[in-house]
Amino acid sequence: MTSRYLVLAAWGVALLVPLVSTSSYVLHVGIMTGIFVILVQSLNLVLGYSGLLSLATPAFFGMGAYCTTLLSLRYGLDNALTFAAAAIAGLSTGVLVGIPSLRLSRHSFVIVTLSFTLLLQLVAYNWVDLTRGAMGIASIPAPRLFGMAWTDKFVWYYVVLVMAALAIGVMQAIVGSRIGRAMIATRDNEPLAVAVGIDTFRIKIFAFAVSGALAGLGGAVYAHYLTFIDPGVFGFSFTETLLIMVILGGSGTLWGPVIGALVFTALPELLRLTPEVRSLAYGVILLAVVLAMPKGVASWVGQRLDRRQP
Amino acid sequence: MDGQLLGQLAVNGVMVGFDYALWAVGLTVIFGILQQVNFAHGELYMLAAFLLQWLLNRLGLAYEASFALVLPAMAAVGLLLAKCALLPTLRRPFEAAILATLAVGIILQNAVRLTFGASPLRIPTRYEFQSLEIFGLLFFGQRLVIVGIALTSLLALFGFLRFTPIGTALRAAAQNKDACQMVGIDIRRLTLWTAGLGSVLCGIAGGAVAPLYDLYPSMGTDVVFKSFAVVIIGGMGNLWGAVLAALTLGLAESFAGGLGSAALRDATSFTAMILILLIRPSGIFGRVVRL
Repeated sequence: MTSRYLVLAAWGVALLVPLVSTSSYVLHVGIMTGIFVILVQSLNLVLGYSGLLSLATPAFFGMGAYCTTLLSLRYGLDNALTFAAAAIAGLSTGVLVGIPSLRLSRHSFVIVTLSFTLLLQLVAYNWVDLTRGAMGIASIPAPRLFGMAWTDKFVWYYVVLVMAALAIGVMQAIVGSRIGRAMIATRDNEPLAVAVGIDTFRIKIFAFAVSGALAGLGGAVYAHYLTFIDPGVFGFSFTETLLIMVILGGSGTLWGPVIGALVFTALPELLRLTPEVRSLAYGVILLAVVLAMPKGVASWVGQRLDRRQP
Repeated sequence: MDGQLLGQLAVNGVMVGFDYALWAVGLTVIFGILQQVNFAHGELYMLAAFLLQWLLNRLGLAYEASFALVLPAMAAVGLLLAKCALLPTLRRPFEAAILATLAVGIILQNAVRLTFGASPLRIPTRYEFQSLEIFGLLFFGQRLVIVGIALTSLLALFGFLRFTPIGTALRAAAQNKDACQMVGIDIRRLTLWTAGLGSVLCGIAGGAVAPLYDLYPSMGTDVVFKSFAVVIIGGMGNLWGAVLAALTLGLAESFAGGLGSAALRDATSFTAMILILLIRPSGIFGRVVRL
C-alpha cells in the first residue's frame, strides 16, 4: 500500500517540477530522463522480463530516430504519422532481429543482436545519400502535433512525461496479463513453460516487437528534441548506459529501471563528467554490480535489510 | 589480363583472410576452452596496438623489439581479465561472463581514450612500403609479414595444445570440466592459462595487423564484428573451422569488392553469418569443440 502512495507522490513531483523551477537546464535533465525511461522499459521487457540479454536496443532506437527524421525532413509528413512510423520501424526491426537470432544457442543470440546493431551503424555511416554519413543530420524540425509546435522546453517536458507514463502503463499492462506471466514463466524455466503449452518462441518475438516499438518511439522523441542525429545513435554508448540503468535499478521490476534512468541521467549532469570519465565509471560500476550483486542493487539492499531484522 | 585481375583478387583475399584468422583466433580459444564469450576481445586487440605504438613512437624502440615486449604485457592483461571477469563468472549463468567482459572492454576503451586522446595514430613499420612481384602478382610487405606471423603462431598454438601437458589439460577442459576436476586438474589455473593465451593471441594480432590501419580507441569494434562473423561461420569454439572460415571470408570479400562494390564487400561477412545461422546454426564445421 505504501508503495502505491510512493508512486503517486513521484508522479506528483514530476508534474510539479516545471511549475516550481523555470530553469531550462532542469527541464532538459527532466526531458532526457523521460526519454531514457521509455528506453529502459524497452530493454527491461527483453532483458528483465524475458531473460534475453539482447544488445539490439540501439538498433530499434536508431531506426526510430532515422525514420522520423527522414520522413519529416524529406517528405514533410505530419509528426503524428512520423512518430507512428518510427514505432513501426522499431517494431519491425525487433521482429526482424528476433526471428533469426532467437533460434540460436544462447551465446550466438547475444553475438547476433550485437552484430545486427553494428551492421545498422555501418549502413548509417556508408549510405551517405540517405543519412549524410558521419556528418549526421542537423536542424530536425520541432514536431507539430494537433497544430501546435513544441519549441518550448515547458511543452516538451509534459509531452515526454506523458510518453514515459504511457511506456510504463504499457509495461504494467503486459506484465499483469497472461502474456506477461507466460513471459516470466519462459524466463524462469523454459522447458516447463513449453510443457504447459506456452509457445515460447512467439512470446519472445512479442517481447522483441514491443521492445522495438518502445525504443523506436524513444528514438523519434530523442531526434526531434536534440534536432541532430548521426550514426552514433546506433552506438555502443547507448547499450552501455541502458544496461547500467536497467541492471542497477533492478531488471525485471517495473519501477527499478525508472529509478535507474533518473539517477543515471541526473548524476552525470550534476557531477559534470566528461563522456570518457562517465563511460569509464559506468564500466567499473557494471563490473562491480555483475560480480558483487548478481540480482541488482535493489535486491542486494533488500537482502541486507532482511538480514538485519531477524 | 582478366586472369591476372582474378589472381590478384585471390592473393588479396587470402592475405586479408590471414588478418581475420589472427583476429578471431583469440576469441575462439577462450570460447572453445571456457565456453565464455569474451566481449573485451576487440579492446584487447586495441590495447595491444596502442601499447605497440607507445613503445615505438615514445620510447623509440624498433618495431620487432616493441612487438616482442607487447606479448608479455598482453599476457599480464589476460591474467587481469581472468581475475576480474572470467574466473568469478565461471560457475555463473553465461550472461554474467558476457556482461563482465563487456564492462572490462568499456573500461579499457575509455582508459585508452583518456590516455592517448581520440586523434588517430599510426604504427610505422619498415615493411609497409615494400612489395614483391611474382608472376605479375603483387605481394605487399606488411601483408607478407602478417601471413608469416599467422602461420607461425597458429603452428605454435597447435603444438602447444597438442604436445604440452598444459595444452592437453586445456583440451580436456574444453571437453568436460567436471571430469577434469575429478582427475585433479585445477580449472582455475587453466582459466588463467586460457585468458593469458587468448590475450597474447590478441597481442600478436594487434602487433601484426594494426600497422595497416589507423589507431583509434574504438577500433576494436571492427575487429570484434569480423571475429564474431568468423567464429559463427566456422562453428563456435572450432579453431580450424575459424581459420578456414577466415580465409574463405577474406576471399569472398575480395571478390565481392573487386567485381562488385565496396558496399557489397562490407555486407559480405554479415550476410554470410546470417545465412549460416539460418541454414546451419552450428556453423559450417559444427559446434563440436575442436582445438
